[in-house]
Amino acid sequence: MSFIVRQISNTADGRQIVRPTTYEQVEICVGRDSACEIHLPDLAVEMRHALIAARPGGQVHIEALGDMGFEADGRAVDRVTINAAVGGELSFGRHRLTVSKEGEDIVIAVERVASVADSTDEKDVNSLFKLDGVLPGRRVSAWVLIGLVLSAFLIWPIYSYATSQGVKKREAGFHADTMWSSGSLSIAHKSLENNCQACHVKEFETVKDETCMNCHKHDAHDHAKPERLAAAMGPKSFGGKIEGMFMASFGIPEGRCVECHTEHEGEGRMEPTAQQFCSDCHTNLKSRLPDTKLGGAGDFGLDHPQFQPLITAGIDGDKRLTKRVTLSGAISEDNGLKFPHDIHMSKSNGIARMAQTMKAEQGWGDSLACKDCHVRTPDGVSFKPTDMEEDCGMCHSLAFDQIGGTIRTLRHGEPSQVIADLRAFYRSTGPSRPINLSGMSRRRPGEYAAFETANDYAAGARAWPGQADEAIRAVFSRGGACYDCHVVTPTGSGWSVKKVVQPTRYMNKGWFNHDAHKQEDCQSCHKAETSKVATDLLLPDLKSCRTCHVGGTGESLVSVKEPVESTCAMCHDYHFDGMAPWQSKKQGNEKMKSNTTAARQEEKGKGLSPIYGTVRFSSK
Amino acid sequence: MASQAPAGGKTRQTGRVKSDGMHEGFLRHRNFYWLKIASGLSLLSMIAYILIDVEPRHNGGSWYGYLLGTIGAVLIVWLTTLGIRKRNMTPKAWSLKAWTSAHVYLGLSLIIIGTLHTGFQFGWNVHTLAYVLMMIVILSGIWGIFAYSSLPQQMSFNRDAVTESQMLESLRSIDRQLHDAAQPLSQANATLIRESLEQDPFGGGIWARLTRSYPKCATRRVHAEIKMFTRSQVDTGDDPLERVDGLLERKASTLARVRRHLQLKALLEVWLYIHVPITFALIAALVAHIISVFFYW
Repeated sequence: MSFIVRQISNTADGRQIVRPTTYEQVEICVGRDSACEIHLPDLAVEMRHALIAARPGGQVHIEALGDMGFEADGRAVDRVTINAAVGGELSFGRHRLTVSKEGEDIVIAVERVASVADSTDEKDVNSLFKLDGVLPGRRVSAWVLIGLVLSAFLIWPIYSYATSQGVKKREAGFHADTMWSSGSLSIAHKSLENNCQACHVKEFETVKDETCMNCHKHDAHDHAKPERLAAAMGPKSFGGKIEGMFMASFGIPEGRCVECHTEHEGEGRMEPTAQQFCSDCHTNLKSRLPDTKLGGAGDFGLDHPQFQPLITAGIDGDKRLTKRVTLSGAISEDNGLKFPHDIHMSKSNGIARMAQTMKAEQGWGDSLACKDCHVRTPDGVSFKPTDMEEDCGMCHSLAFDQIGGTIRTLRHGEPSQVIADLRAFYRSTGPSRPINLSGMSRRRPGEYAAFETANDYAAGARAWPGQADEAIRAVFSRGGACYDCHVVTPTGSGWSVKKVVQPTRYMNKGWFNHDAHKQEDCQSCHKAETSKVATDLLLPDLKSCRTCHVGGTGESLVSVKEPVESTCAMCHDYHFDGMAPWQSKKQGNEKMKSNTTAARQEEKGKGLSPIYGTVRFSSK
Repeated sequence: MASQAPAGGKTRQTGRVKSDGMHEGFLRHRNFYWLKIASGLSLLSMIAYILIDVEPRHNGGSWYGYLLGTIGAVLIVWLTTLGIRKRNMTPKAWSLKAWTSAHVYLGLSLIIIGTLHTGFQFGWNVHTLAYVLMMIVILSGIWGIFAYSSLPQQMSFNRDAVTESQMLESLRSIDRQLHDAAQPLSQANATLIRESLEQDPFGGGIWARLTRSYPKCATRRVHAEIKMFTRSQVDTGDDPLERVDGLLERKASTLARVRRHLQLKALLEVWLYIHVPITFALIAALVAHIISVFFYW
């Protein structure tokens, strides 16, 4: 029995070289030591790694000599006995030993199965130094990224859109189509932030006016008829024509709400209309729209028609007749009152003296001021109509009788009631009874004096009711309580008092806020101190406003000390509704905003017309 | 180029500078023709942006915004075609050099056109995503130009006329010698040497390559450990440990050069791994951007 060791090696071209060595002995050694019969130049093999011994019956016993074991048929072992006839495979480091039997000899084929180092393994020098091995391929990354971006930013949002069709309000939480939003919505539309479908109703269709009008049916209306608007705009520029062509080809109508009311411009209030939007049409409007009644307006400071207040033209029954007048020169308006402002505001006459005596009681100054009679509306925007009892009654008393501690007054605004009250007064009362007619009186000798007194009293009491007519006549005539302020005419059977109208607003196409002008003295705009008659219209004219308000261009025809830049939007609104216009951020402030809101609420609540004050007097 | 680079450090240096000149060829192409066109385009869009009055403020949805957006989108698609164009050969006017020159300068002008298209309105949305991706592509492209113009010189200096296969071969040679030299060593030392042999010299991820930081380098560690033995003994010349020590030192220096080469090559290539895939992400985002804008018009 002998060992045949076959060293197998491979050439570069794949040929196998086998070098057999025969050992006529029963034991051979495996190791890195070149003295070993099976010499394995392998650093993973010990110098003398294992002993292979032939046993009777064709058995081969292999036993490790050191601590390092070996592998037999894939299992890590220290020793193993193999039937050579059956065969077996042993692994030492990077070498493989295959045991078999040829006749009586035990054959061990030795082969290196792995290269000596990692570097000597087969490597592709073309890709070895490149990044291909350490980074995902560019093509793969590109496809993955395309897939990710399209699914997250296109397919998912479209799914969100498709699943929210017809939904009025979507659930709170994330909706993928909000990733398409180019910016936050304005404060007014904040609640729609998560509800894209509220405005973007149909895919690939621009936001339609009908969608806006679903919510805005009460606060937006056409500025003018579309054909008049188109005529006022004049011919389009070259760029405008191209833009129009594009819009027409996509079936988008012109003059949509969203053309001016751009959204997704970020949080905050929606931007106000720029002056150019107005002036483009309103400068020389007549040249394009010959039948217009409006004067041309390009800029408040430079090109604006004179104010045209709507004043009282007369009174027809309960109806106030009005007319528009251009505010130039002295204009008179008969409001039914005979009220001279100058004497009330004098600093030296009897009224001023009276004001001084009532200073502590009423909180007045040394003479009357505007605020002592005129009361502002809670929002500060305008003034309430003056109320006789509240605003005049402090001086102009209607008291005529006192019972106990209670003062009886004549009813203001109801002349027939005044007449009735005076008659009742004279009917139910008599002249005061002389003290010496009472039972407890001290008597002087003789009855004559008492008799005379009783006679006088009886005659007085008899004539007493007849004095009522005189009193009534006195009240309604010159020097009487009514006559001083009202136009009273006798009707034969009674008295008629002319109706009084107090408009709280004269310029209904524009907006004026007194609160925004409170740093100003009333006199600087309203020349009340020198007004001698009630018919004086005390409105300031264009020139007066221009002493502060320059136009949106910053220029004015009047020299200005402290210019206040005033674009059209400061006073005018495109969708005019009688309320404050859409103030710009610069011009407005939060207080003004809250005032405007308060004004709307209050006036809505009271049901008062924002145009007219109440008509207080009635002649019945 | 080989003919222009005779032996000798100084003259070889001249050759490298010359090669840089060739790299900048597409930048200087036709006396900066495309730089002039791109600058003109950028300047024009900026002037128009200032002069054109868009109310309430500039945005991508105004007519000027649409115009800039269309120009930008067409440019992006055209710039992407460089990838197709560079695989085909055409000479003269639309030579690859001319194309690349236009690609670089028109790509840079997208910074202006794209930014003006946004109207400086940014947010967490698909529109800004497309913008950010575009900027990443452009910035990675700028890095690419910088890399192409400066790194080849360093790379050539580091390689010192050694080719990549020569580098690999030299590593293999050292490893084989190391393997042979370690045969007589004790098992403990043999195991150490094995660690150096079995470690992949090209291992380590992208970070290791870019930063040249290999904290787990077996060769360096093994060398240090072997040195512990050799330091204290006299070099007799026939101690296998001394031979191994010397071989490990050679391996370490070869590895250093290989790794520097790997680093330079990674720096030279890595931008394309951003530039190309992000370009496609950008095109996808652009598609989503354009569709979304008209979907929710």
